[in-house]
Amino acid sequence: MNPILSFIVVLIGIYGLCTSKNLIKSIICLNIVQTAVILLFLNFANFSGSDIPIIFKNIENPTDPLPQALMITAIVIGASITALSLMLCIKIFHYYGTLNWKELIEREG
Amino acid sequence: MDLIPIYLIFIPILTSITIYIFHNRYINYSIFICQGVLTFLSLWYYTSFDEKVTKTLAFGGWSREIDIVLKNDRLSLLFIIFTIFIWWIILIYCWNKRKYDHRFLFFLSFLQGSFLGLLQTNDLFNLFVFIEIATIISSILILYKKDGYSVRAGLYYLLFNSVGMLCYLIGLIFLYNVMGTLNMDVIGERIVSLRGTNSIRLAYIFMMSAIGVKSAFFPVYNWLPKAHSAAPSSISALLSGLLVKSGLYAFVRLNTMYGIESFSEFFFLLGFFTALSGAIFAISQKDIKQILAFSTISQIGLIVMGLSNLDGNAFYGSIFHILNHAIFKCLLFLGAGLIINTYSKRRVTEIRGVFKTMPLTSIFMIVGVLSITGAPLFNGFISKSIIKYGLNEVPYKIYMFNILNLSTSIALIKLSQIFFGEPHEKKYNYFCENISMSLLAVMCFVLGIFFIPLGQLLHVDLGFINLFTPWAWISYLITLVIAYFIYLFFVHRELPIIKKIRHIHISFGAANSLLVFFLFIMIMWKFIDT
Repeated sequence: MNPILSFIVVLIGIYGLCTSKNLIKSIICLNIVQTAVILLFLNFANFSGSDIPIIFKNIENPTDPLPQALMITAIVIGASITALSLMLCIKIFHYYGTLNWKELIEREG
Repeated sequence: MDLIPIYLIFIPILTSITIYIFHNRYINYSIFICQGVLTFLSLWYYTSFDEKVTKTLAFGGWSREIDIVLKNDRLSLLFIIFTIFIWWIILIYCWNKRKYDHRFLFFLSFLQGSFLGLLQTNDLFNLFVFIEIATIISSILILYKKDGYSVRAGLYYLLFNSVGMLCYLIGLIFLYNVMGTLNMDVIGERIVSLRGTNSIRLAYIFMMSAIGVKSAFFPVYNWLPKAHSAAPSSISALLSGLLVKSGLYAFVRLNTMYGIESFSEFFFLLGFFTALSGAIFAISQKDIKQILAFSTISQIGLIVMGLSNLDGNAFYGSIFHILNHAIFKCLLFLGAGLIINTYSKRRVTEIRGVFKTMPLTSIFMIVGVLSITGAPLFNGFISKSIIKYGLNEVPYKIYMFNILNLSTSIALIKLSQIFFGEPHEKKYNYFCENISMSLLAVMCFVLGIFFIPLGQLLHVDLGFINLFTPWAWISYLITLVIAYFIYLFFVHRELPIIKKIRHIHISFGAANSLLVFFLFIMIMWKFIDT
């Protein structure tokens, strides 16, 4: 897995965030960026020369475990944000009958 | 005793869970016990801070790089005591209305726990986690009224702030790749030789853009007025007073950790544009809460102008202005909530005769208005004079500061028109609300007169400020008179440009493009600078 690949996915997600007009699409793009950032973190954030901090010593070229532990937390946070925002999308659709950002502003007047 | 930092985080969270599980009106009172315990613990911790207590508290027993560390210094302790005070105010204010609302109290108390954690953590990733928890909970509190407008504002707040925090994560990647640790102290020691390298600078830029979203800097503050005007008024006071300051607190922490000086001029200019555009938008609005929300942005810009230097009088003045702004903006938002509740109107051009209808509330609000415009004897004057004193060396900075002061005065004069006129027929009895507002108003006075002990908390000598120099009073009056004439001739007549500014809407996609633009400006600044 190349870090450049995941960086391209980040850019795709940011492009989607800037251009998408639909609420659901915005949330999907947010998730794309989130996944790509997590992938980038796992690929790129390896501090070279680190030793395994916990138990098994004397292993050649260990993977740094700290980013993996951190990213589990980031995944949980991302999942909760997605769940909450999708729930709010349902509410908004009940109130306004649309999920388009532009129409939402127009309905408000 | 050493474990007090953990208690400060977990007591509110455990209380909130208890309230939510038991679902009982008597159990709801336990939130006051929790507040009392927190007050006692924080004061005890503060008094014994210098001698006995260790400043850092590490868990796990691993090496220093991978421990979870809580760290307290004088700044964080000051913020902790202030946070607990503001939570008392909000709790007293909304108690009459939310007595039986266990869900609201659950979120309120949980938010306090995560905010206290945010202030104490010494770990960059834990900072991210606490900020995200605070974002999620505050977005739920914003849409607590559950009408269409507030749900939309809450969703906008949630999504845009999560996009901002993703930038923070990207910055963390660059930093971790070089440093191999996320402990702020260790990074601060190791960063000295690496300060000029590209990855450190990129990490700084990405993290600062996230902080910019969180604390509403110039191009990316669009979420703030929506969220603050849609929320229930106790929550918008909390948001404007404290939760926006979480970004500024992280700004101070990260800047002291990185120590990159080449961005200080950039942040000064950014703060100026934030303050100016916030004030212009505030002048153009008609909705009372929107005026206050945009004026928050303007004050944040002022604070960033001072914080950009990292030392000296302007820096400490900004720290005090964060706290003072929390007090008087809370006061104004709480008063605005009562006024909206009485009149069922939100436009300043329609509300009339507040002084005759609710005299006590309007006295407190006038105290707030005097504080925010920087009248002598009130707390706004103190922090603004310290910032002014710090900016004194460069003449054009003083002019910028005076322009901002003038524009704040215009916006607040526009708000003050609600006090005059004939009274409203309906009258309500606001007992709890007035108690909490009176506490805040008294704090405005106390911090405005006894400011020297406050300075000693951070080891700053504030003896150079003189309350009774005639020039301070005269310049305040002159500013007020000029502001009144500008209001009369330009704002009151509803010029078409003001109407146009009022109706600017920035969609979610455009806000994200602005965030990319903000990142781009910072990267360009780095290239110009080196």
